[in-house]
Amino acid sequence: MAEELIEELVEEDSQTGKFMTFQTGKEYFGISISYVNEIIVMQPITAIPEVDDYIKGLINLRGKIIPVIDVRVRFKMEPTEYTDRTCIIVINVKSTVLGLIVERIAEVDTILDDDIVPPPALGKKDNEQRKYVYGLARTGDTVKLLLDPDKLIRQDALEAIEDIQEKEQS
Amino acid sequence: MAEEFNTDSMLSMFLYESGQLLEKLEGIILEKQDAECFDDADINEIFRCMHTIKGSSGVLMYENLTKVSHKLEDVFYYLRESHPENVPHLELVEKVLAVSDFINGELDKIKNGDTPDGDESQLVKDLDEFLSRIKGEIKKQGIRLPKANKKEEPTQFYVAPVASEDSRFYKIVIHYRNDTQMSNIRAYSATYALKEVAEDLLYTPEDILSNEASADTILAEGFYMLLQTKSSKEEILELIDSSEAEHIDFEELNATQYGKALAELGREDVPVVINLDEEKKADKSSEQAPMPGDYVVKTKETGKGKTLAKNQPKQQIISVNVEKMDALMDLIGELVIAEATVLQNPDLKVPGLDLTNFYKAAAQLSKNTTELQDVIMSMRMMPLTNTFQKMKRIVFDVSRKLGKDIELEVIGENTEVDKNIIEHITDPLMHLVRNSVDHGIEDNPDARTANGKPAKGKITLEAKNEGGKVYISVKDDGKGLNKEKLYQKALSKGLIENKPITEYKEKEIFRFITLPGFSTKEEVTEYSGRGVGMDVVVKNIQSIGGRLDIESVENEGSEMTLVIPLTLAIINGIVVQVGNSPFVIETASIKQFVRMGEESLIQEPSGEEYIVLRGECYPFIRLSEKYDLPGAVSKIEDGIVVVLEHEGEQICILIDKLLQEQEIVVKPIPSYVKKVRGLSGCTQLGDGSIALILDIAGLILDEERR
Repeated sequence: MAEELIEELVEEDSQTGKFMTFQTGKEYFGISISYVNEIIVMQPITAIPEVDDYIKGLINLRGKIIPVIDVRVRFKMEPTEYTDRTCIIVINVKSTVLGLIVERIAEVDTILDDDIVPPPALGKKDNEQRKYVYGLARTGDTVKLLLDPDKLIRQDALEAIEDIQEKEQS
Repeated sequence: MAEEFNTDSMLSMFLYESGQLLEKLEGIILEKQDAECFDDADINEIFRCMHTIKGSSGVLMYENLTKVSHKLEDVFYYLRESHPENVPHLELVEKVLAVSDFINGELDKIKNGDTPDGDESQLVKDLDEFLSRIKGEIKKQGIRLPKANKKEEPTQFYVAPVASEDSRFYKIVIHYRNDTQMSNIRAYSATYALKEVAEDLLYTPEDILSNEASADTILAEGFYMLLQTKSSKEEILELIDSSEAEHIDFEELNATQYGKALAELGREDVPVVINLDEEKKADKSSEQAPMPGDYVVKTKETGKGKTLAKNQPKQQIISVNVEKMDALMDLIGELVIAEATVLQNPDLKVPGLDLTNFYKAAAQLSKNTTELQDVIMSMRMMPLTNTFQKMKRIVFDVSRKLGKDIELEVIGENTEVDKNIIEHITDPLMHLVRNSVDHGIEDNPDARTANGKPAKGKITLEAKNEGGKVYISVKDDGKGLNKEKLYQKALSKGLIENKPITEYKEKEIFRFITLPGFSTKEEVTEYSGRGVGMDVVVKNIQSIGGRLDIESVENEGSEMTLVIPLTLAIINGIVVQVGNSPFVIETASIKQFVRMGEESLIQEPSGEEYIVLRGECYPFIRLSEKYDLPGAVSKIEDGIVVVLEHEGEQICILIDKLLQEQEIVVKPIPSYVKKVRGLSGCTQLGDGSIALILDIAGLILDEERR
């Protein structure tokens, strides 16, 4: 029992501060590695009608059917062709498993809490992707935008309500 | 003590077992509700149920459950031992049902993670009062409040009275059946029960609660107890829950032997406890005569064991965790898909291959997987017996409360249905039965006799299995549905179009009662319409792919039939292609495929399209337009028109081409993706790609809404 606990702690320890970073457009994004299940190559996707455009459809992950969303479209950027560098990051957020289609995987980075600064509040509304960013971190010579997966996968309907509430408050 | 270790497995075992016992209990009660009294076997059975519940709830420290079950056990103990006459049978039935309800309610609380905090005092008081009343009727003198049953034990049951000795010593070894689950818990409940009477109790293995491995030891070697008590052998056997025991070795010892046995168990301090004086006495008594209990007694030889052996032949059923079943089901689903992947592999399509042997082997494989599928399906099948049992209870309750005399006939309760489906139909069925009792059967028996019917109402609950569907019908011989009234009511509530009644078909009028908002406040009685209308019944049934048929003749009665699929998990489907996307249509809902020309198409100015096929006009949906699928055929003559039917309504859709026929393992669309109308799920095709399953009912509904 005690050993297990220690193991868990060690594992926890090795995960904190680690971020899976990927590139979309010119910018680098990071997502805490504790959410990441695995990274797979692009799969054939079955489109689902009548859903938001960023939900690209369903893929078959070894018998499990999971939805995939395109991060570019999610950020309201122009979609690009999928290439052989395109990857799917399978994440598990509060036991919702889904895939994020990203242009290319960068690396796993260690980012300390002290190095994370909150995003500037200015210009928040006119930049779609900022909604999902909870912090900025500088590693090497690039700035990484750290994503809040919870917000990233949140459905727009909910978002719209929250937006309204936000506006009412301000 | 119980909190010291993980109680989860213990709890689920307790819940499962108590639930089973209560079901059994209700079964007995309802079977005998109209009889004069319970016979011995029933009394024993009820007694045993209560005894077990008492024991296990005691272990888990649910005090109110322990108290209530203890009281009822007392009552039945008295019935069993004294055979009183003139027991008010119906009252007894009600009492037992009340207790069963109470325990059920508390079990529900436990299931939901709440503390069972129901107040048992009223029930206990009622039972006390009842018990003293039936006692009073026999011994006219002096009504005593009942004490715990062990003190009520009539003295003639002491088989081996040891005149001069107060304390007696026993060596007890309980051997549980090999398939007994959690024997350590059972052993603990035995020690727990014995603690009430024990002056000293020592058992091995000692760590039964903290060490789960002790269960294996107990199974292998038996559970060994040394007991010093004033009670007799029968009393002790009574206390030990022997429902899972294969046999119990029971040996009465004298004080010396007891001391020795204790020493063997490694309690060296114990011999000190036995003083010389005692030992002398014990020696004396052992000289007098050989102890009658001084040999191994199998439970079979005791009264309790006899009924056990008779009623419970060797256990043929094991309980399996539902999750494991589901995992197996999933795996077999995968296997079916893998099989399709192999047999439809594109590599096989190379021309000139001699595949004779391959196809022979493939045929064998197909046969086996199909059989495997059938077996797992049958494992998930459960008879409707329990569900029907609940209905019996409802009829009993409601008819008594409403003062209606109703007979319930049950046909085909052994019909088997997928477990998932049973869960879905219980509530709707309950609603239908309540409706029949409350609204179906006339309030006044005179109204019945006036129509030439017997005064006693009759409700028939019937289940049958026909053509891959299960039909469950609730039929009453009551007043039936009045079409005129239904029409007026629906009209006044604005639920239907203002058309004369003659323009509605009979079936359509009956279906008014399933419209949301049809059931009114005035109609709500205690038993019908507890916020659940017929619309909810229909919705629940539709959610599992079933339907509700209503038939009724005024003054002769009504019949509500639930038509439900046998199973949900695997369906026969046809894979079609629209644009680049594959879709699956359930084979059962396909009427036909036709190729048609532009001339059969009628286009309304509003853009809606219809197909005329053999003089009939059907709504026409282009899936490619509805779902915005690129690359699909737009000309009707290039594609195939599929005529689909659901509940008598038909609709045509245009597809590009047919791909294949396949057994489809239905998987839900991940909940992250919001529900799309007209799609009921998805599945994996032979090549590993995913196809969406069309929901015909949804499509038709969608079309009607437009």
